[in-house]
Amino acid sequence: MFPTRLLRSSTVNASEIAHFSRLSAEWWNERGEFSFLHKMNPIRMQFIRQKLIETAYDEQPEEAVNPRKVGILQGLDVLDVGCGGGLLSETLARLGARTTGIDASESNIAIAQHHASLDSRLTDNLSYKHTSAESLLTQSKRFDVVCSMEVLEHVDNPVMFLKTCSELLKPAGHLFLSTISRTPLSYFLTIFMAEKVLRQVADGTHTYSKYINPSELLQFFQTYHSQVPSSESTANQSRPWITRLYNGEPTRTEAEVRGMIYNPFSASWILAPRGAWGAAECNYIFWVRKPALDGISS
Amino acid sequence: MLAISTRPAASRLLSKAQRFISTNHGEYDAVIVGGGPAGLALASALGSKKELQNSLKIALVEAGDLSKVRDWSPQAGTFSNRVVSLTNASQAFLKDIGSWGHVEQERTAPIQEMQVWDGVSDARITFSASELGVPTPDQGMARLTETLNLQRGLLRHLQSIPDVHVLDKSKVQSITVDETPGSWPLVHLDTGRVLKARLLIGADGLNSPVRSFAKISTYGWSYDTQAIVCTMVHSPRGAFLGPNTTAYQRFLPTGPIAFLPISDTASSLVWSTKPALATALKGCEPSVLARMINAAFRLPEISMRYLHDRILEAHEAGKPITDEEIKAEILWREQSHSIDQTSAYSSITIDSNSGIPPLDAEMVPPVVSSIQPGTIASFPLRYNHAETYTGEGQGSRTVLVGDAAHTIHPLAGQGLNLGLGDVECLSRCIHGTVLRGGDIGSYTALLPYTQERYLENHKIMSACDKLHKIYHTSSGPLVQLRSVGLEVLNEFDSIKAAIMMSAGSVSKTNRVLSYNGDVRAAMFDMAAKGVENIGKAAGVAQVVRGGLAGIAVNALQNLAKAAPAAAASSQGSSQGK
Ligand SMILES: Cc1cc2nc3c(=O)[nH]c(=O)nc-3n(C[C@H](O)[C@H](O)[C@H](O)COP(=O)(O)OP(=O)(O)OC[C@H]3O[C@@H](n4cnc5c(N)ncnc54)[C@H](O)[C@@H]3O)c2cc1C
Repeated sequence: MFPTRLLRSSTVNASEIAHFSRLSAEWWNERGEFSFLHKMNPIRMQFIRQKLIETAYDEQPEEAVNPRKVGILQGLDVLDVGCGGGLLSETLARLGARTTGIDASESNIAIAQHHASLDSRLTDNLSYKHTSAESLLTQSKRFDVVCSMEVLEHVDNPVMFLKTCSELLKPAGHLFLSTISRTPLSYFLTIFMAEKVLRQVADGTHTYSKYINPSELLQFFQTYHSQVPSSESTANQSRPWITRLYNGEPTRTEAEVRGMIYNPFSASWILAPRGAWGAAECNYIFWVRKPALDGISS
Repeated sequence: MLAISTRPAASRLLSKAQRFISTNHGEYDAVIVGGGPAGLALASALGSKKELQNSLKIALVEAGDLSKVRDWSPQAGTFSNRVVSLTNASQAFLKDIGSWGHVEQERTAPIQEMQVWDGVSDARITFSASELGVPTPDQGMARLTETLNLQRGLLRHLQSIPDVHVLDKSKVQSITVDETPGSWPLVHLDTGRVLKARLLIGADGLNSPVRSFAKISTYGWSYDTQAIVCTMVHSPRGAFLGPNTTAYQRFLPTGPIAFLPISDTASSLVWSTKPALATALKGCEPSVLARMINAAFRLPEISMRYLHDRILEAHEAGKPITDEEIKAEILWREQSHSIDQTSAYSSITIDSNSGIPPLDAEMVPPVVSSIQPGTIASFPLRYNHAETYTGEGQGSRTVLVGDAAHTIHPLAGQGLNLGLGDVECLSRCIHGTVLRGGDIGSYTALLPYTQERYLENHKIMSACDKLHKIYHTSSGPLVQLRSVGLEVLNEFDSIKAAIMMSAGSVSKTNRVLSYNGDVRAAMFDMAAKGVENIGKAAGVAQVVRGGLAGIAVNALQNLAKAAPAAAASSQGSSQGK
């Protein structure tokens, strides 16, 4: 974290800027340690694009959808949880989203802000905040899209984290997560399941293993119901986000899992086709849609 | 949980400074340096995508006066001396971007057949469009087009694209970059303007200033060869021979000579030869060059050597050989080789191609009767390949296309076709990046371009280089092999391969983003194949996972070093983004 003196000071000296830049260079050195992630970002974005276009086709007359439009996120409020140096946030903003990137690390936020300042196309619709997803919940603002990439495997309490991200969405909003699978036999499974079944999270006393499998995310959202206005009885909730699985796969309109495969020969990532399950063995991206308001049964 | 919203003053101020700078400079997403065919095609390709409007602000900078190209209106029947053969792939690309329609079709001509032979052994191959599997035989295996016709067409197309600012009569004087890492290059023009570029594209030819700025070194050599070009005038081919659609190329030890048909009565010459000989030939009356061209396609190699020596001697003596003298020399040579005066191999006595043509008429090009005035010129030939196509460090955000990236011997007519291949690939990369919200100047966005083009270009470049070297000699074991004709035929196969590699008409532009399951599946297949090669997918997964975890840990450690408290981030902090 940067000394608060620096953050508050109104005069900026060159060595402090240089300090920012060096850090920024770390995150944004595309050939350095983050090169894998730089290369992964385009396929994450490809998936986000694809899902938004697909849902647009489902909901609008065909001629109203332009699949080749650049500003596919135009007019949408998008939250990037754990934005790091701003890799994903910048790309979301370029597709027209009013983007908010948040990160619990203050230096990450400073780096992201510095980097975005180099690109004048980002000045209008990209902002960063040093805050947590949980604290955003206390505010009234909700989002059309919430993304959290390569974060889930690092959080202390995945269930709490998933709930928070879910509650930050507007009805019919999109949640995108990317993370890494864990081997199926890990003991963590039972703990996770227990947590999920209990749907009660002890506050941070447990330390869970990092990786979560696609099937576990699917199961979580099969039993997950949106919080409904307090007047409604808790026993009479909205439908779960995923109503059912067919041969272990969700319906295309509710959720989707896609493997992301690294091809060492071309040094690039490839988004595996839908249903290529073996492909989600390692890195994968997950999409789930919050039910629309009319999905709430009374 | 912390809930502080901090906007560090440092970056706030920085972005203010940045904004100040950007009002001072013209800021562009793409600055293309070079208004040659490659630069103009790139500007057209990027500008022609409707969906990219507002997402890409493009400037094209050219030192020369482009109005001369725009207003170029040659007299009917006359042709510019700079002619390129465009492969079907290049044409398909130009059609895709909507530029081809602006190229005056009547001034272009298809190549239906190609005859290539060795000047020493006379081993010959002939190949035709139908043999190459060209979908519509009429279009030929390639189309000859004046470079000016193409450039003018591209400029006309650009006039309908307001997103592209064409700045001609503007020479790039210097390119600089601010100290701050991640800053964009600044292009200083001699008009006083400064352009700030998210992506700086060097389409600026052999001596590319963009390449120098990016400190990209090149690998190459001079061929000690000059290519003489001119527009040759001849009678139409007789009714029995069909139209003038066969290209001829003969490999002489001094270099190949090529005859490229551009209309019924005009064809373009590319004669690669020793610099001294080129100078001597250019110093003679144009009719001497015409006679020498005819001879070079017909006389045995030993006589060509003799004629070359005569021309050089006369030139050195300060008395260029006259038309009468060369006519007499050639006639004497024809007679001493017992070339029948009715044969197509005799160029002196046959003045018109009327009546029944000699049996061997198809073996050689039509007899050149004169050279179109003012069209004789020559160019030094080089092999040059940049070590990479994208800059790094201070030279970040730069990329090279066309002759700035590579120049080759023109013997397979591939130079600009490679350049257009670059342009097609780069515009596809840029388009895909924009649709995914990426930064088109970033290394990651440009990497697929280098990956796709470098090897592709290298293959064709080295095939052409090898051919030049094998034929650029008249002594030693290679010639012994050549005289048997075996080696020659093998090598001719590689000329054919070089031409065929890009003879197809398959356009790749629709590959940008695949919403189409088949294409995706195909890509997945490709990846899967790569993966199979090093063992089970699980093994790879393990490697990748290890790699990622390693990255996260390393990155954390580095951040921790740089800013000690950073690593103590709590829930929701990304450790690898
Ligand atoms: C004899 C001969 C025959 C050929 N035949 C064929 C053929 O049959 N088929 C084929 O495909 N190719 C052929 N080629 C190759 C082809 O001509 C070239 O590959 C092609 O012209 C290159 O185009 P370009 O746009 O990359 O570069 P160029 O045409 O060299 O354009 C570069 C442009 O950049 C501009 N520029 C340079 N520096 C600056 C600066 N500082 N500021 C502003 N502007 C600047 C220049 O003014 C120029 O207009 C042949 C080449 C030769 C020599």
